Amino acid sequence: MKSIASNPTDHHLITEFKAGSMEAMEKIVGRYEDRIFTFGLKMCGHLQDAEDIAQETFLNAFRYLKDFRGETKLKNWLFMIAARACIRKRRKKKCEPDYEISLDSFIHEDGSDGKYEIPDWSDDPSDNVMRAELKRIIDVAIQTLPHKYRLVFNLREIEGFNTKETAEILEISTQSVKTRLHRARLFMREEISKQYMEGRAQ
Amino acid sequence: MKEECKKDFERISEYLDGELHDDICREIENHLRHCPECRECVDSLRKSIELSKKAAEEEITPDMRKHLRAALRDCFPSKQS
Repeated sequence: MKSIASNPTDHHLITEFKAGSMEAMEKIVGRYEDRIFTFGLKMCGHLQDAEDIAQETFLNAFRYLKDFRGETKLKNWLFMIAARACIRKRRKKKCEPDYEISLDSFIHEDGSDGKYEIPDWSDDPSDNVMRAELKRIIDVAIQTLPHKYRLVFNLREIEGFNTKETAEILEISTQSVKTRLHRARLFMREEISKQYMEGRAQ
Repeated sequence: MKEECKKDFERISEYLDGELHDDICREIENHLRHCPECRECVDSLRKSIELSKKAAEEEITPDMRKHLRAALRDCFPSKQS
C-alpha cells in the first residue's frame, strides 16, 4: 500500500482507512488524541476515566467511520461521540442529579455582582509554581461546575468550538449553549476568585 | 442592581464573544463608559475567561498513547495486512 502524504486532509485519511490503512487510523488518532483526552479529563476529573473516554471515542469512531458522510468536520464528529461517552459514564456512576445555575445567585446582598480577584496567567516561563497553582485552581473550578454546564464550558472555552458547533455536538439549541456558557463563566469567576483568595490567605 | 446593569449582566458573554448586533454593542459600551461597577464586572469576567483558556491545556501520557493504539489494533486486526 502506498504511504500517506506528509500532511493529508482528514477526508483523505478517512478514505485511506476505509481502504484498510492502519497508518491512516494512527494518523487520525495522533491528530486528535490530545484534544479528546483533555476533554475527557476536564469532564471526568480522573486520568483513568479520561483514558476510558478516549478509547471509547476512537473505537466507536473507527467502528462507525464507514457511515461518516462528512456533513460535519471529523473533529466535531469525534467530539459528538466523546460527549455521549461522558454522559454515559456519568449515568453509570449514578452521580447526583444536575442542578440549574440561576443568574440571581450571582447577585450579592448589596445588590451588586460582587468584587472579584482574578489572577493573571503568568507569561514568565520561570514562574512554574504560579502556573501550576493557577492550573490547579482552574481544574478544581471546572470539576465544581454542574455536568451540563461543564459540557458546554469545555467545548466552547477549552476546545474552542463556536456556539453553533457546540449546539450541534450536544444536540441542543444555540440559545441553550449561550445561556449555559454565560452562567458557567460567572460560576467559574466566583470559584476562581474564591480559591485564589483562600490560597493567598493560607 | 439597576435595571440597565441587570440587562448588561445577562448579555456580557455574548458581548465578549462578538455575538451581538452592532447597535446593542454600542448601547452596552455607552453604559460601560458611565458605570464603573459594570466595567469591573466585564473586566473580571474577561480575565477569568482568558485564565481558563490558558490554564487548561493537557497532553495524553505516553502510556495512554500506547494503550489506545493497542486497543485499536486489537479491535481492527484484519486491517493490518
